[in-house]
Formats: sequence, C-alpha cells, structure tokens
Amino acid sequence: MRLFLFAIGGTGSRVLKSLIMLSAAGVRPVDENGHPVPNVEIVPVIIDPHKSNEDLKRTEALLNAYRSLRERLYGNAVNADGFFATRFVTLREIMSDSTIQLNDTFIFNLGAVEREKFRDFIGYDTMNEANQALTSLLFADYQLENKMNIGFVGSPNIGSVALNEIKDSDEFKAFANVFNQGDRIFFISSIFGGTGAAGFPIMVKNIRRAGDLDINNRDALRRAPIGGLTVLPYFNIEHSEDTRISKADFVVKTQSALYYYKDTMTGANDANVNAIFYVGDQEVSKPYTYDPGEHGQRNRAHLVEMVGALAPLKFAGLPLQRLSSPDGFPLPTTAYEFALAKDERDINFLTLRAATRRHVYDPLVRFHLLFLYLRTGFREQVGQGYTEDAPKIKSDFLNSQFYRTLTDDFMRAYVDWLVEMHDNNRSVSLFSLGETDMNRAITAVATRKSLLGRKNVDNNVFKAEMNRLSRDASYSEHTVEYKLLDLFNRAATRIINDRYEAIN
Amino acid sequence: MKQQNFIYLGLGIVATILFYVLRVSAYECIYAVPGFSDQFYNAGLYDMIPLITIAVPWATAGIYYYAINSVRFDRWYHWLLVGGISTMLTIIIGYAVNSSVFSDMGLSYGAESLSFELANAVWAVVMFIVASFSMRWWSSNCRHTPIPQ
Repeated sequence: MRLFLFAIGGTGSRVLKSLIMLSAAGVRPVDENGHPVPNVEIVPVIIDPHKSNEDLKRTEALLNAYRSLRERLYGNAVNADGFFATRFVTLREIMSDSTIQLNDTFIFNLGAVEREKFRDFIGYDTMNEANQALTSLLFADYQLENKMNIGFVGSPNIGSVALNEIKDSDEFKAFANVFNQGDRIFFISSIFGGTGAAGFPIMVKNIRRAGDLDINNRDALRRAPIGGLTVLPYFNIEHSEDTRISKADFVVKTQSALYYYKDTMTGANDANVNAIFYVGDQEVSKPYTYDPGEHGQRNRAHLVEMVGALAPLKFAGLPLQRLSSPDGFPLPTTAYEFALAKDERDINFLTLRAATRRHVYDPLVRFHLLFLYLRTGFREQVGQGYTEDAPKIKSDFLNSQFYRTLTDDFMRAYVDWLVEMHDNNRSVSLFSLGETDMNRAITAVATRKSLLGRKNVDNNVFKAEMNRLSRDASYSEHTVEYKLLDLFNRAATRIINDRYEAIN
Repeated sequence: MKQQNFIYLGLGIVATILFYVLRVSAYECIYAVPGFSDQFYNAGLYDMIPLITIAVPWATAGIYYYAINSVRFDRWYHWLLVGGISTMLTIIIGYAVNSSVFSDMGLSYGAESLSFELANAVWAVVMFIVASFSMRWWSSNCRHTPIPQ
C-alpha cells in the first residue's frame, strides 16, 4: 500500500520532519494490535509556495538524507525492519508515465502561484469596476499585494483561490496516474494559518471530484480512503506591530475553519474525509519570532508535531473496514484525538499514554543509543570484534558518504530536533540532552538493579552484544551499512529489555 | 565459515596428537644431553612433560577465549600476555614435576631440568598458537584475536 502524504504549509513541513525522525528510529505504521503493517510505502508531497521557508528546507534536506541512507541500507525493498525501515519515495520515482516531466523532489511545484502577487494572480487589474469592488470586499489590501512566494501569511482566503491551481498541475496528474486501489491519502495541515487551512479542503475536493477532471484512476481516487491531521493552535508568536499574523486570531480562524470543514468534509454523514485526527495544545508555547515569511520562518520543533506525526502511521494501520464500506465506498468521518497520560509541562516517556509509549519507546531509545554509540564509541571499535566479520567495516567507512550523511547531517538534525522540543513549552525531555552516559540517557528510566548496584550500559556492552550477534549471523550478502545498523538495532533491542527498567 | 572452523579445530587436534606421538623426537631436537636425557626417558618424563605442554596452553587458551572472553581484553597484546603466562606456567609446572621426579629418584639435574624447560618454551608457545587457532572461532569477543579471521 502506498500512503500519499500531503504536508501542507509550514506546520505540514514540521510534522513531516517529526515523522522522518520517528521513521528513522524505526517507528512504523502499526495495526490496532500494535503489529507493524507490511508493504507500506510513503509518498510525501510538500505543498507550500513559501520555498524559502526554513522549516520546509530543513524537512526537504532531511527527506533527501533519509532517502539516500535507506537506499544504501535496503535498496528498493519496501519492507524492512529496524532503523529507516519505512520507505519514502518521490512521485517521480514511482511514476511510469514519461509524458509528464517532474523533478525528482518531494516538493510540489507551485510555479505559477509562487511567482506572482495575489492581485496579479487573480487578474485584479483586468477586472471591471464591480468585480474589483467585490474582490476588495473579500480581500484586504495587504492580501492583494501579497507576493505569494512567502506563502499566504495566515490568509486562507488567498490560499483557497491560489491553491485551486493544483488540480491542473503535472504533479497532481502524476499523483492520479500512480494512485491505485488500496492506496491511501493523508493530509497534514494546520487549521489556524493560511496555506494548510485552505489547502486541505481544496485537495480533498479535487480528489473526491476526480470524476470531473481529466486525469487517470478517477474511480480509485473518488473511493480512496482519505485521512487528515488537522493541527489546532499550539504555538505562540512574538507581539508585533504588523498584524497580518496574530495569535489572537488563531482561535477565531480555527473556529471558522472547523465549521467549514464540518460542512464540507468532516460532518457526521460526510464521507469526504474518512478519518480526521485533531491535535493541538492550549499550553502556551515559547513565542516564536514574528515572521510572516520574509525572513525564512524557522520555528522550534514542538511536542504537537511529534504527536501529530503518529497520525499518518495510525491511519495507515487502520483496517480498511473502518474507512470503506464492503462495496468500496468511503465511510463517514471518524474523529481521533490525542491525550497525554499526565497533563504536565515536562514530557518524558512516562507522560505518554501506554499505547503511544508502546509504539515509540523502543525505537526511539534504540535510535538515541545509536546516536550516542556512533558519537562516542564506534570510531574506536572499528577494526575490532564484529567489525572484522564479513563484510568488514574498515576505517575508510568513517569517511564514506553514508557515514557522513548519517552522522554529520542526519544525527545533527536529530539533535536539533531534540533540543528544539526540549527548549519549547511543553518541554519534551525524552532523553537527557548532553548526557553521553548511556546509563542516564533516558529521562525517568534507569538501568535495572543487580546484585552489585545497577546494570551497566556502555559502548563495550554494545560491542559485546554485537560481537555475539555477528558471530551467530551471516551478513556476507549485505552491505556494511546494513550490517552495522542491523546489528546495533538487534543488540539495542536485547540491551533495552535486559538492562533498562521496563516501562511498557 | 563454520565448516572451515571445524577444519581448523580438527587440524589443531591432529597437530597436538602428532606432537604427543612424536614427543621424544620433538624434545630431543630441542634439548638432548647424554645422561640427563636417558634418565628423563627412564623416569617417564617424556610422557608427562608433553602432557603438561599440551594441557597448560590448551587450558589457558580455553580460559582466554571462553572464560575471559571480554571486549576489554580482545587485542593482540592481551593474547600475547596470556600466551606469555601460559608459557611461564608450562615452564614452572614442568620444572616442578622434573625436580620432584628426579628428587624421588635421588638424582640432581637442577640446571639441566631448567635448561630443558626453557627449551620446552618453544613447544609451549607452539601449542598455545595451535590451541588458539583451533578454538578461537566460536569465541564471541576474542575470535579475531590475535589476528582477524
């Protein structure tokens, strides 16, 4: 199954970034019993006219790094287990229609939208006087003057006009071409801004009305299971004299949009969206720098984004009968919400509810231990123990593209992500930041008691476990990259179970 | 690879048995002194000393690879240290046995016994190497010591 994941606007990019981090750790779509769902391939499509948005750029860079790392680990295999298990592909990568020219990128090309001011885009100057007057009633002057390469600056009324172009784009046609029965569609967007709030209903409308469009697979699209993550207000922004974006408007905009969604997509008898996930936080975040778009918009990662990233994974694991009727028609919307076990400002694994903890604890801890191991122990161990088993991990591996991408690019972004979530409010402290001692790395989780104090976890414990696993397995048919990460994943699984206190 | 490991083990055992079968020639080629060697033979030490020269290196190699078997003790110089200890033990135990047997016979071959045992260090080292390369393959942490597979 392919999950087409449309991440719309700045929040879309940030949630997608959290999803990449979770996926790198090995968090996968799971069914209702918590078992991984096989054969899931994610096709992320970022829709945001604001190309210079730092959050978008960071997410795109991360996606590209993830993709290259995964390819080196598992090739084109859809199913994998361990780090970087879930496969992310571009539309270009999976399309077979050579008549459509697409860049090999995760970003939806909104060329026409990005280049123009909104007034030029709608042809304001060519309108007659009456239409100009009507347009001026619907759009404020600053909205008409808005150059859309910085996004829609919190104005869904601009987005709802500009993004209607999408249905005629090559990307949309390519998406329709590769969409098959059995695939699913998911949207990530905020409801209190401009791009996401407008983009989500427009995309849903165009997909459900595919019968009216000149595209392929119209029937499959009309019947497609569609889910959405609607992010409610969760962050605060610094006070500014410029009032184009204001925290005070967030709730009003959300309320209006929710009514609109209810009337058009998510009402009790509405089957346009089959599963809607709401997540937000009334706890006031640390204020972000006021930036409608001109300065790049780089916001700190937030708990809501990490939690939101679990929504598409849950959606991918929902049984089909929860989304479609037996004759294949979409079922009315089911709404899902997320709650913490404890309403606290400092979030660790124990603050999460059991189901969430079961889903993310082991993979995230494994990944964090991998991060610590690569940072503090691996370099010294090259040329010893398991690294000498075939295929040998030699010292030149430390200069390989894979290793540098993993440690310099990906792990650095991982640390940024942890630090940003930690420095935000609520403060996410899953791990003790800056702590290199593995015994104290997991917040609120100690190592198990033993006869002589507590069990120890360090690089040598990992080396011993990987030595043992490597002795008993054969990696001759695999790459050194796969061998290293698979061995570590298996060693970490055992060490977490044997040496850390159980919390699940 | 596992089949190959058993071949190494088999070759090691065969080499050890051959050493024991050809023990007299093996020792005479490293140390032979008229009088002392005859008494050595008469006292049955050509049966006993080779057994010690086999048992001690195999036992210490076994302890290194399967009892110690530590990631903190898996470098070539650790192996060399254990090999040195094994050889020293072989010399000391061999000398003690020699001295005891000759003493019971009322003979005094202190200097020859010591020279013999020092020469026996050659076979002790060889046996330690043979034992190491026979058994190391199944050690989880030290199978690449002293040199990688």
